[in-house]
Amino acid sequence: MIHSIAQKEFVSTLRDRRFVVLSGLVLALLLAATLVGRASYRSLQQERELAQGTVNEQFRNQPARHPHRVAHYGSFAFRPKSGLSLLDAGVDTYTGSVVYLEAHQQNSVNFSQAQQSGSLIRFGEMTVAFVLQLLVPLLIIFLCFGAFTQERETGMLKLLLSQGVSLRQVAWGKIRGLSQAVALVVAPALGLAAALLFTGEEFAAGPDLLLRLLLFGLSYALYFFLFVVGSVVVSARQASSRAALVTLLGLWILGCIILPKATANLGASLYPTTTKAQMDAQVHEQAQHGINGHDPHDQRAAALKAALLKQYGVDSEEKLPVSVAGLQMAAGEAYSAKVYQQHFAALNATYQRQNRLSDWAGLLNPYQAIRPLSMGLAGSDFAHYVHFQQAAEAYRYMLVQRLNHLQAGMGYGDKERRLDARTWRELPVFAYHAPTLGWAWPHLLLPLAALLLWGVGLSWLGLRLISTTSVT
Amino acid sequence: MHTFRILFSAEWHHFRAAKGLVLLCGLLLATGLYGIYYGTTEIERQRQHLATLPELTRRNIAELKEKFPGPADAGDIGYYHSTFAVHHPDSWAALSLGLRDVNPTYVKLRLLGLQNQLYAADNTNPMKTLSGNFDLAFVLVYLFPLLIIALSFNLLSGEREEGVLPLLLAQPVRPAVVVGAKLAFRLVLVLTLALLLSVVGMLWAGVPPDGRVASWLVLTTLYCLFWLGVVLVVAGLQRPSAVNAVSLLGVWLLLVVLVPSLLNLGVAAARPVPQGIALTIQQREEIHAGWDRPKAQTMSRFFALYPQWRDTTTIRERFAWRWYYAFQHLGDLAVARQAAAYAQGLQQRYDLVEKLNLLSPAISAQSSLNALAGTDLPTHLQFQRSAERHHDALRAFYYPFLFRRVAFTHADYAQEPTHTFISAPELTTVQHGLLKLLLSVALVHLLGLGLLCVRPVTPR
Amino acid sequence: MTYLLEARALRKQYADKLALRGLDLQIAPGEIFCLLGQNGAGKSTTINLFLGFVSPTSGAAFVNGLEVAANPLKIKEYLAYIPEQVMLYPHLTGLENLALFSSLAGYRYSQPELQGYLTDAGLPAEAVRRRVGTYSKGMRQKVGIAIAVAKHAQVLLLDEPTSGLDPKASNEFSELLRRLSAQGTAVLMATHDIFRAKEVGTRVGIMREGELVDVRPTAALNAQELEQLYLTYMH
Repeated sequence: MIHSIAQKEFVSTLRDRRFVVLSGLVLALLLAATLVGRASYRSLQQERELAQGTVNEQFRNQPARHPHRVAHYGSFAFRPKSGLSLLDAGVDTYTGSVVYLEAHQQNSVNFSQAQQSGSLIRFGEMTVAFVLQLLVPLLIIFLCFGAFTQERETGMLKLLLSQGVSLRQVAWGKIRGLSQAVALVVAPALGLAAALLFTGEEFAAGPDLLLRLLLFGLSYALYFFLFVVGSVVVSARQASSRAALVTLLGLWILGCIILPKATANLGASLYPTTTKAQMDAQVHEQAQHGINGHDPHDQRAAALKAALLKQYGVDSEEKLPVSVAGLQMAAGEAYSAKVYQQHFAALNATYQRQNRLSDWAGLLNPYQAIRPLSMGLAGSDFAHYVHFQQAAEAYRYMLVQRLNHLQAGMGYGDKERRLDARTWRELPVFAYHAPTLGWAWPHLLLPLAALLLWGVGLSWLGLRLISTTSVT
Repeated sequence: MHTFRILFSAEWHHFRAAKGLVLLCGLLLATGLYGIYYGTTEIERQRQHLATLPELTRRNIAELKEKFPGPADAGDIGYYHSTFAVHHPDSWAALSLGLRDVNPTYVKLRLLGLQNQLYAADNTNPMKTLSGNFDLAFVLVYLFPLLIIALSFNLLSGEREEGVLPLLLAQPVRPAVVVGAKLAFRLVLVLTLALLLSVVGMLWAGVPPDGRVASWLVLTTLYCLFWLGVVLVVAGLQRPSAVNAVSLLGVWLLLVVLVPSLLNLGVAAARPVPQGIALTIQQREEIHAGWDRPKAQTMSRFFALYPQWRDTTTIRERFAWRWYYAFQHLGDLAVARQAAAYAQGLQQRYDLVEKLNLLSPAISAQSSLNALAGTDLPTHLQFQRSAERHHDALRAFYYPFLFRRVAFTHADYAQEPTHTFISAPELTTVQHGLLKLLLSVALVHLLGLGLLCVRPVTPR
Repeated sequence: MTYLLEARALRKQYADKLALRGLDLQIAPGEIFCLLGQNGAGKSTTINLFLGFVSPTSGAAFVNGLEVAANPLKIKEYLAYIPEQVMLYPHLTGLENLALFSSLAGYRYSQPELQGYLTDAGLPAEAVRRRVGTYSKGMRQKVGIAIAVAKHAQVLLLDEPTSGLDPKASNEFSELLRRLSAQGTAVLMATHDIFRAKEVGTRVGIMREGELVDVRPTAALNAQELEQLYLTYMH
């Protein structure tokens, strides 16, 4: 019974000219967004790989230099795009792509794409995720708003029920048929994306990517299912098609336009952060005067020197086999990096508090559940960005400390000497490994749970509402 | 005129009776007030942040005074001393935040090479910048069209579906007057809300009462008129309410969402920006090569540009500050062309969008409001140029100390040049925006009137 | 003599069907002309042509000597119209609806006057200040009648006006029509109801597939003869 209703719904939807036109449009946008996404992925990725290669070569081909010169020469870390970011660019547009790594200070990640465009960027970007998250639900709404109201207005509902079908069966039949029609629109684009991802040599296809893509597809399937069920429920509860359409469009505007912005803005108002300038000043101050304010840098340096003299049983710096300056630099770097990490963690904790408001809103608004889930799976969310920042800082710290210890090994009077050009070739270059799904998992639990909760709740409560709805 | 008045007041009755619409207007009013509140607090927060910067500079100077208790080498001071070039918001920025949260509002400057300092980003929460600002401009540009759609999607079709239209048209009333009265009522309602919010916003933000007040109000009015024109066109097609709602929302989606995002793609492809990354890499190479080049070569290149600092002494020591700062500056000069090309590329992108935004009045309106508030890309580029000039001024201040080898005393800190930059409105962009909106308004209204003339209103 | 309603070779071709094939009709002051015919015979098209709601393919309709197509606004001052289903603004009261439509027709009545029109049309006094959304079909029909009467029109165009009225209200309506016609109002009424047509009409016309196939004065026939006549044409 459900099957024949589903079949009828599917067939009549396909014969509806409006559906054909609208879904053709959405499909075209999806395919275009996929191709554009790949093109922009390619050019950005090539640019960054090329730049990373260039700076790595430059680093390895340095002439004979003093290691501290090399530490100031430093290097750059470029953030590679994740493969799935061609589907969902997430926050990538608003985050920088490159960070300059040098001794003594942690620089910001610069040159975001958003800074390279005018306020046009604020209207949103045409990505696959954008079409899937905002436009497909609209298509579903247009498809489903009349599911019950039209049958009621034409008296068909009474006829159906007189055949011995229950309202619940009618609802499930419609949901199934309409879901099939939606799948017909979305599946080709996701298929194309998968094909591009797994055939293009620029993507590191592997089980992790496959798993991410699979979950990506499943979450969207659930997301669309929510809209189908929700629209059918609203259609059943509203008196007229017009009222159903207006209600659904109102909910769409509230959930997809107003709430995300409002919660993000509210979060930023509730949990203020400091500027980079303030943070740097605080880090500098605490590194100079000690985290507790009673352990100044100069005293630490003097104590280190005294300890070295004692350790080697000598009475002057000249007789030491190691460079005091190098070891002092290493200790200073270790101390300031520790201070920086504390501040960086506090800053990110504040950002997470700001974002949590939006994450919890996912329980009220499926759009705010699919958005973090989708960008988390695509590797383009805030957590992945922080992961890159931390990887870059870890590399910077490692590099600078290696150089400091090279300097320490040069012994007294190191400033007058240089290390051989070969030395730089032995140092590792920056290679970023994007985290696996296992790492990203904890960040995705809340949005995923929210989506599942919606799915179960809507199927249960919504269908109960439908079965008590009026027939006339 | 008489019937117009009757119909107009009837619309008021209908509106009052439709509780949902009254609620919607109330909600939008509340949303607008929140937008104003958010915008003003955001700008206030930015102001507070910027206000802490002089304090940071003071602390930096205090530390230096402690570190160098007597007369010091200006080279040391230039190396350790940092100041800020600050981009102060105009009070209008509170109403249209534009890109003020995407672009940094200050640049920390030392006497070193400028190009690797100029593009430093500030701490931002990318999730928040992705979601965008909930300011008054957003409410006006994004949400007001939706209010207009909600108020008018059943203009005439509602009467037709309720079956009142035959009785209405059996009276000696011109159908155009019926449509006109309905539109006029909605215009008055929407403009009352929009202008009320604008005036409240202006008072709240404390904007100076100059020509921009009128520009803002006219922009808002034209933008609302445009959307009412779209309503007129759709009403002129005389389709059922559901079709109207879908068509109007489709137009909204097209003009507010699709055209901007497609335009963004198109412009990025048509005007590829020379990468800022490349120029910072090259600048680093230039500067660090300075260490390895013979000092005499560096100095002669520098003196060729700045003959006033030429002296006869050759640098024999392993390190000299004037040599160090000379190659820092030469590093900047080596990438000056790329830096200019980068800034120019961004400006060209913006200009191309300005040319093409005739396609969507929503973009015209948004970029005009941003231009009026001085919060868009061109203002940021101006700020960067002003930061560059400040860096020049800093060099001009320190060079006499460095090249004439004058000791830097504690009193000299106070003589250091300071920087202020307050966003200025881009009035030509505003004027062009006004013209473009006027053109769009004329276009849709002519089309709508034409449709009403060609297709007489049928009662069923 | 001037006719209040006149059709000259009135033709209306829709995209898919010829609705009216050259109608000639004159209705004088005081006449009640009843149009009989099946659904789709062209009765409503005729009324819509007199109202100017549709424009003729050829021929012309005249109201009070004025061509409808040339004077779409002026002719409405002479006309009152009651559709088959009177639909009103649901969130306004009966009184407010009447006030609105009367003021559009150029009449400004006091509250007691408005109330008088409504109760005269048969609307219960308690319903006058209730929202029309709560009215039954018959009550809305009565407000429609009040609107027509309050317009003091010289011509009444009625499209199945009594459908949805109970027999008592229908009789009252017939009474009203007689009163108005005695004052010189011309009435064109489309109806299915042969007996009511015989009862109130001065002439009846039978329409079939867009043609006026027969016109008789009602005085010349009794109801049974009229029914017989009607059935003959329908076969």
